[in-house]
Order: sequence, then C-alpha cells, then structure tokens
Amino acid sequence: MNIPLSDYLMLSAFLFAIGLCGALSRKNAIIVLIGIEIMFNAAILNLIVFWHYKYFAVPTAYMFAIFAIAIAAAESAVGLALVIAVYRYYKSVDVDEMTSLKG
Amino acid sequence: MEATFWILSIITVLGALFAVTLRNLVHCVLSLILFFLGIAGHYFLLRADFLGAVQILIYIGAVAVLMLFAIMLTRHVTGDEGAREVLGGKWWTGMGTAIIIAGLLWAVIRKDQLANVLPTGGVQTSVVAIGKALVADWVVPFEAMAVLLTAALIGAVVIALEEIIRRR
Amino acid sequence: MDHSEYLQQLAWQQWLIPFFPLVAAAIQSLLKRPARKPSAALTIVAMGLSCILALRAFFATLGSGEHHEVERAIFNFTWFKFGTTSLELGFILDPLTAGMAAMVAFVGFWIFVNATGYMADDENFTRFFCFLSLFAASMLGLVISNNLLLLFMCWELVGLCSYLLIGFWYFKPSAAAAMKKAFITTRIGDVGFLLGIVMLYWKTGTLNLYTHDALHPGALEQASALVLRNGWWGLSAASTIAFLVFIGAMGKSAQFPLHVWLPDAMEGPTPVSALIHAATMVAAGVFMVGRMYPLFIAEPGSWVPDFVMWIGCITAVFSATIAVAQFDIKRVLAYSTCSQLGYMVMALGAGSLVAGQFHLLTHAFFKALLFLGSGCVIIGTHHEQDMRKMGGLRKYMPITFVCYVIGMLALSGFPLTAGFFSKDEILLATFHRNKWAWGLGTFAAFLTAFYMTRQIFMVFFGQWRGGDDDHGHGHEHHEPHEVPWNMWLPIAVLSVFALFMGWLGTPWFGGNLFHHYLAPEEVASEHSDMVLWLSVGVGLLGIILGWLIYGRKTMVHATDEDPLATALGGLFTFLNRKWYIDELYEATVFRFTATCAMFFRLVVDKLVVDGCLHLIAKVARGISQIFRWVGDEFFINGGFDAGCEGVELGGEELSKLQDGRVQNYFRVLSLGAAVLLLIYFFT
Repeated sequence: MNIPLSDYLMLSAFLFAIGLCGALSRKNAIIVLIGIEIMFNAAILNLIVFWHYKYFAVPTAYMFAIFAIAIAAAESAVGLALVIAVYRYYKSVDVDEMTSLKG
Repeated sequence: MEATFWILSIITVLGALFAVTLRNLVHCVLSLILFFLGIAGHYFLLRADFLGAVQILIYIGAVAVLMLFAIMLTRHVTGDEGAREVLGGKWWTGMGTAIIIAGLLWAVIRKDQLANVLPTGGVQTSVVAIGKALVADWVVPFEAMAVLLTAALIGAVVIALEEIIRRR
Repeated sequence: MDHSEYLQQLAWQQWLIPFFPLVAAAIQSLLKRPARKPSAALTIVAMGLSCILALRAFFATLGSGEHHEVERAIFNFTWFKFGTTSLELGFILDPLTAGMAAMVAFVGFWIFVNATGYMADDENFTRFFCFLSLFAASMLGLVISNNLLLLFMCWELVGLCSYLLIGFWYFKPSAAAAMKKAFITTRIGDVGFLLGIVMLYWKTGTLNLYTHDALHPGALEQASALVLRNGWWGLSAASTIAFLVFIGAMGKSAQFPLHVWLPDAMEGPTPVSALIHAATMVAAGVFMVGRMYPLFIAEPGSWVPDFVMWIGCITAVFSATIAVAQFDIKRVLAYSTCSQLGYMVMALGAGSLVAGQFHLLTHAFFKALLFLGSGCVIIGTHHEQDMRKMGGLRKYMPITFVCYVIGMLALSGFPLTAGFFSKDEILLATFHRNKWAWGLGTFAAFLTAFYMTRQIFMVFFGQWRGGDDDHGHGHEHHEPHEVPWNMWLPIAVLSVFALFMGWLGTPWFGGNLFHHYLAPEEVASEHSDMVLWLSVGVGLLGIILGWLIYGRKTMVHATDEDPLATALGGLFTFLNRKWYIDELYEATVFRFTATCAMFFRLVVDKLVVDGCLHLIAKVARGISQIFRWVGDEFFINGGFDAGCEGVELGGEELSKLQDGRVQNYFRVLSLGAAVLLLIYFFT
C-alpha cells in the first residue's frame, strides 16, 4: 500500500467535517447523535491511521482505539435512552423545542 | 491497492453524507450502517483486523440497531416527519463551521511534510497479543471500561424506564 | 512768656470753647423730663464758661494787628491715620475766629437767658435746651476750626440743629414742612461746598487751612500757587474753589435763589430765630467766605468776586422789597436778616473783608436784639404774631419798646449807631467797585429804614387792636403786659452794644480799630463824603416816609387795610407773596423733581431695574431648565436610562445564548474550536 498518510488524514478530516455538519445543522436529535457517531469514527480512524503509519510495533494506539469504540458505544446507548426519555416529555425529538435549559 | 482505498473511501464518505442529509430517519441509519462498513473496511486495509471485526460487531450490530429502535420508539403519531423542515434554526452556523474546519485541515495537511510519509512494515499484532495486553498492561483501563459499561447500562435502563414506573 | 507763645497755648485750648456746651447737651439728653431748672442751669453755665474762654481768647488777640500782619496761632493734630495718609483736624486762634467766637458765645449766652423765659410754659423745655447747647457747641466748633473737614462736620451739625429746632413743634404741619425745607435747601448749597472742599484737597493735598509749615503748607497758604493751576470755566483753581465754596455759603446764608427756607424757619421758637437765623448760623456762610478769603482774592481778574457781590446785592434788594409787605412780626425780621446777609456778602464780593465782618458782628447784636424783642412782644401779647393785631404796646411794654427802637435805629443805619458805621463801610467799598451795585444797595438801605419804621408804628404806636376779635371775646382777652426780668435783661444788654459797638469801626479816634485788628493787610477804601451823606440821607428819608404813612394815621382796627396796600395795590400783593418765588419753585423745580422721581420709579425702577431683575431671573431659570433638560434629563437620566436599556437589551440578546438549545451550544463550541485551530495552525 503506497497511499500517503496525507490522503488518509484528509479522509478522516472530511468525515469529521461531515459529522460535524450533521450534528450542528439537523433538527432531529437522533440525526445529531448519528453525526456524533460519525465524528467518533472519523477520530478513531485517524488514530489507527497514525498507528499504522508510525507506530505499528506498539499496540498502544490499538488499545486506545478499542477502548474508544467501547466508550462510544456506551455513550450512544445512553444518548438514545435520553432521547427516548425526552421524547416522552416533549412529545417530539426536535432539538429546537427542547428549551427547558433556558435562562 | 490504491483502488481499494478509493472505493472504500467513496463508500465511507457517501455513507456519512447520506447519513446526515437524508430525510427519512431509517434511511439515515441504513446509510450509517454503510458508513460503518466502510470504516471497517478501512480498518482491514490498515491491518487492524481485530478492530475491524469489533467495529462491525459493535457498531453495526449494536449501535445501529439501537438507533433503529430509538427511531421506532420516537416516531410521531401523526406520521413521517420527512415532510417537515429538516434543518434546525441557524443551521448555516454549523455548516459554516464545518466547512471552516474542513478547509483548515485540508490546507494544513496538504502543506505538512510529515503527511507524505509512507507506511512502514511490521509484524501484525495478533489477537492473542491483544488479549494478553488487555489483562497484563492494560488491565486497569480494561476494568474501568467494564465499570463504565455497567454504569451506562444501568443508566440507560433507568432513564428509559422511569416513565413506565410512573405510568403504573 | 511772650505773646506768640501765649497765643499758641490758647490755640491748643480752643477746643474747650465748644466743649462745655457739648457736655451740657450730652448730659441733658440723658436727663429725665421734665427737669427745667437743672436743664436751664446746665446750658447757661456751660455757655457762660464758653463765653469766658472766648473772651479770654479775644482779648489775647487784641494786640495782634500792630505789626501790619495778622497773628495766627494754630494747633493741628492727626485724627486718624490710614496707610500713609492721615486725616487731620485743627484749631486756629486769629482775630477773625476770636471775634466771631466771642460774639457767638456772648450773644448766645444772653439769648439762652431770654429763652428760659420764652419757653417757660412749654412741655419740651429740656429737649429745647439740649438742642440749643448742641447748636452752640457746633457753631463754636465751626468758628474755631482750622481744618475744612472739621468745619464741614460742624457746618452739617449746625444744619442738623437748625432742622431740629425749626421743627421743634413738629406736630404743627407748617413747622414740619419748614424744617424739611430748611434742611433740603441748605443741602443744595452743601453740594457745592463739598465739591469745593474735594477740589481743594485734590489740588493742594491737604485740608488744613494754615499749617505754618513751609514744607507742607496749608490750603490757604497755597492760595497763590493755586492761582497758577487751572480750574473750570476758564478760572484758575483758586477761583473755582472759591466759587464752589460760595455756593455753600449761598445755601447757609440764605442768598437768592436759595433764600426760601429762611422765612419759613420762623416756625421755630423765637430764641431759635434769634440765635440761629439772625446772629449765628446764617452768618456762618459769611464767616466761611471770610475764612476762605485768600482764595477769593487770589486771582485778580476772575469774575467770582463780582458774582458774589451781585448775588449779595440782589438778595439785599429783593428781600427788602418783600419785608415791606409782610404782616407777621417775625417774617419782617426774617426778610430783614436775609437782606442784611446780602449786604455782608456784597461787601465780601466788593473786596472788603473788614466791612463784611464788621457788619456781621454788629448785625448779630442788633438783630438778636430785635428778635428777642419780638419774642418779648409775642409773649407779652400772649402768643400773638400778627402785627395788625398789635398796636400801642409802648404803653404796656416800655422796656421792650425802648430796646426795640434802639435795635430798629441800628438796623436802619441811623447815624452813630452800630449799624450806621458798618453799613456805611459796605456801601463805601461797593461804591468803589461798581456804581450800580452801590445804587441798589443804597435803595435797599432806604427800604430797610422804611419797613422797620412801619413795623415800629404798627406794633408800638396807636391803640391796642388785639382786643378786636370777630368772636367778640374782646374783654376776656388779657391786655398785653411786660415780660419778666430774664427776658428783658438780655435785650437791654444787647441794646447797649447795638448803640456803641459801632465806634470800633469808625475812622475817627485814630484809625479804624477793627480794620487794624482784623485784616491790617487790606487796603482801606477811600473815604467818600458823598456816599456817607447819601446813606444818611436815605436812612432818614425812609424813617420819615414810614412815619408819614404809618405814624400819622395809625391803624384803628385789626382788619383795616394797610395804607401801603391801598397805594400800591397789586404790587403789594406781589411783594406780600414773596414775588411768588415759592410758587415758581413749586411749579418748576419741585414738579421737575417729582416728575423725575416718577419717571425713575415707573421707567427705571419698574421697567429697567425690575425688568433686568426679571430678565435675570428668567435667564437663570432658563439656564437651570437647560441644565435640567440637557444635563439632567438628557445626559444623566437619559444616559442612565439608556445604559440600563443597553444592559437590558444586551442581557436580552445575550440571554438568547442561553436558550436551552443544546445544539446551539454545540455550534458555539465548534466555532470556538475552529478559531483555536486557526490560531494554532497559523501562528
């Protein structure tokens, strides 16, 4: 594989940007979580890419990535549970309507 | 090999793109699954096999399914929300920020000398080695992770559960 | 000690002369009323002491004329200092002062004695004597003063006392009006006097008249220097000052046109009229001109002496014509005083200080005599003053009659009386100066003799008309009676002087003694027989004419027409009404002043002053409004409000950040991260 590092990095940057876009722009709370997932994955990909290109011998980054995935999964679970709970109260998943933190 | 990269990249990017832009939520999640697949593929390409497998298992197997469940549980009674407005208020802030970041990173990466490094060879890490590392060097994070997952589990159940108890 | 040292010592003691009456006045002002005996005693004793001191000073100066130069002893002292300049006062002892002081004290003494009788049944006895003492003190102070400041202060004090004494019976409206008139009219003259004093101080740097110090000469010692400096109206400084000072004399000595107060001053008690308005205060003007005489004669070609002479001449004739047609016994004497003062002033203007002063001294005696005599008549006829209601009094009041006749003869210039010599001197001096003035003066002498004769016949001869009353209370009216001794003694004493004082001024007996005494440096007027015989002639002519009209056929009833009135008709009324001068003043000066006052009240006061005040108030209010508006409302309130509003709005806007929308928070977060990246990558 003779793909330069920069290509991979640009890929992960691009994915990150897409995820961010979605998280910031969409009205639906679930889409926001989807966007966050995308960002997560982009970051972990970035990590692995660096591991692959520089630190192949040491598994530190590998471990890191494993844990990160675990955490991301836990986080998405809790987030979705929250969305469900919030849905019960507001009767919608529109982020614009969730203003009880106001003031 | 480059072709693989590019195909996988395309799949990934398209997946991500559709995941955030489609109207129908289910379609979004399906697109997300595609995205996860792409990422897994990348992991395989980067010779992080175990991670690729984990990715598929967890993300596609658990997270995406969970999202589907959540979508199903949070549907409006009145119908598909696809007809309504997709974007939130001041959406352009977000779009702008993302574009800025993308641009920045692109500009930097392009310039950076470090970025033109080619991959080095090496011994691939085996699953056995990972397992060993988990319980030897990385035992503390491993246990902590276990606690975290337990907490997340309980927490999620509690959050989602309360309503039912109250109803009764 | 030698003579000049003795004089010097006396000069230092001059202040004692006015001191005693002043103390008497002070004590009397504190006495409880009524306190007749103590009050009278105090005044007369004080005046007696002053008289003794004045006579002592007088005798001390008698030998002074021997060296053909007047001997003057002065005593100047500093009153108070401020900075480098100081105000000085001073006393002087020279023949002019000594003679005047002796006369004032002596005549005053006898008048005070008479007054104890005149005011015997008046309630305000003590107040009267208190004022009289104060007057005596101020007059004597005026006379001994070597300093214009002291002179002016005493001048004003004398005016004040005159005011108080004229209006002694202030509850009478005519008296109240008269006191004001006197004060205000003399005030007009005082303006000129003050201007003169100021100018003198300005030009000479001192108010002392004589200092006998070559380095800091007195004002009069600088007279020749003042001739060289310029004054106003083309005159030298000396003449200008003399003119201004003379205006003061015109007011005080009742010269035309400021004479109007003197007849009205007869509202006061008769001793007051005798003392103040015959002998002393009105003479103060003449005395003051005499004091300042070096300034009058300093410039040879100035018109000021001529002006003085003509004023005197006009006054003399003018008042004499009015006196002819008066019916009040005191009015006749008042106009006579005015006329005689005119003579004195005329003499001074004609260049003879000696003649003027001499007449002043003799006039004091016989006019005081006449006034006191009229006072006796008034008391004797139970406060009757109208001559038409008198008559035949020589039977009832013989002593008064004799003394009065002596006085009348002296006034008329009957040969060998005092008045004859003094009046003759004046006419002689005037003759050499200006023939027209002399002619008028002689005519006035004729009138003087005439009206005095008229008065004598109306009052003392014929039958007593006082009993005729329309009410028919004739028999109940008491007949006139002679006055007690404390009233006729003074007039007897004075009549002696009226008869024999003239010998001091005669050219016989080895030269004019008075001339030598007073002003030996003055050139004596050339004797003229024509003048002498003419003045004798007109005097006798007046007496004869008076007898013809009033003596042969006296008035029978009080309501009888005056023979002269029938003869002259409208002219008589004109003269009786004082040439309508008072009415003229009323119509012009008073109306003008009243209009000015009204103008000032309405226009200046109301419009200008009030207007300015209101304007200022409005402006102040406007400014405060502006401040309120701009400063307070706009800036402070508005600023504050705007600030608060800004904070509110800001808060509103900023609180939008905390809208509870998590996605927004996330957006901000990402923006921040982007900025950080920017900074990180590009710096």
